[in-house]
Amino acid sequence: MDPLHAPFDPVTLAIPFFVLAIILEIALARFKAVKAHYETRDTMASLAMGLGSNVAGLITGGLAFAATVWVWKHRAFDIPMTAVWAWVAIFFLEDLTYYWFHRLSHERRFWWAAHVNHHSSQHYNLSTALRQTWTGGVAATWALWLPLAFLGFPPAMLAIQKGISLVYQFWIHTEAIRRMPRWFEAVFNTPSHHRVHHARNPRYLDSNYAGILIVWDKLFGTFQPELDEETPRYGIVKNLNNFNILRVAFHEWAGIAKDLAGARSPREVVGYLFGAPGWSPDGSRDTSATLKAQWEAEQAKRDAPDVAA
Amino acid sequence: MLIQLAGSFAAVAVLVAVAAWAKIAKPMSPLSDARARALLADEFPGKTLDGLWIATDGRGALARSGASALVLCEVGDGYAARHIPWAQALSASFRDGVLRLDLADVAAPRARLAFDAWPPAGAR
Repeated sequence: MDPLHAPFDPVTLAIPFFVLAIILEIALARFKAVKAHYETRDTMASLAMGLGSNVAGLITGGLAFAATVWVWKHRAFDIPMTAVWAWVAIFFLEDLTYYWFHRLSHERRFWWAAHVNHHSSQHYNLSTALRQTWTGGVAATWALWLPLAFLGFPPAMLAIQKGISLVYQFWIHTEAIRRMPRWFEAVFNTPSHHRVHHARNPRYLDSNYAGILIVWDKLFGTFQPELDEETPRYGIVKNLNNFNILRVAFHEWAGIAKDLAGARSPREVVGYLFGAPGWSPDGSRDTSATLKAQWEAEQAKRDAPDVAA
Repeated sequence: MLIQLAGSFAAVAVLVAVAAWAKIAKPMSPLSDARARALLADEFPGKTLDGLWIATDGRGALARSGASALVLCEVGDGYAARHIPWAQALSASFRDGVLRLDLADVAAPRARLAFDAWPPAGAR
């Protein structure tokens, strides 16, 4: 096998399945067989983002690939593409890398700016899975996978495993499936776990970053199960108020630019760029942490016994 | 590549058409006072409402909470919410029964809410 050219692209192969699955989800919802909501303009925005993401990938993908090849040429070990152990190893290591990429993409504003579009729909259906970034390449999140190339995993192998992960994550963007079998829910990322990840309820913010294996969230303390008493509300903390795809793709970048233009010190520049989304010098804006704290305080107030009684 | 791109455009068009045909957006009805209060409670937990005005078409609402105006406006089959200074809401442009609010946010620059009059009686 050529270590530089993947013999197949899992995502390209899966596109017909994506299309058929979306049609099936819509049809089943139409006849009330499953739960799903599709708003036409929202669906159009999600699919246009998916299409644009492919075009953007053509522009920035070359740089990411060249960097991966360069690092691989300076690798520490030779890892054969034909060895089963190598595929087992890359499955776990790529998924671990994805977890940290995803966590970074939520917890630091610079990378959130590239990822926020995926969360900007107030819907959670299979079309949401295709609402992909246009600016991920610019944000250089691909660099997180370079250590795997340095270890010796060939670029083709990395491309295939990243594709498999992306294809896996398609089917979990649905409300049509309530829960998978308990053993599956314990190990894998599922529609239930990922609904929590897409929810904007304070209790659910910044949780379930997994790609394929939910065990990483359990290991690193970011796991939050879906609770029957708290239905997920989808979207972002401050929802967009129209379906303009340029706004979907670039609004957080524009927000960063506006903040940087008004920054009064290097500390503010660093905070606006790499602080948590919502960071502000005077703490007047909400971050996930402050929203969670407010929510917890509200809960505590509600649960506290009435001392006057 | 052009063929692939054309195919992708066609697939997107088909899927959007199917979604439009199915008519399975979330059911929306004009906002009631109770529904607006529930939505605002979700969006601004812990905020007490000193006054609430529902848009005449039921597609949004504006509430006063201390020195803040809480703005709720319909987006497709969902809502977007923002808060701005109350004084800014009071002095916002009102023409032809539409209040135009500058939300000063790239993600939601403006909101338009239909009211019979603005500011309404008791809003100052």
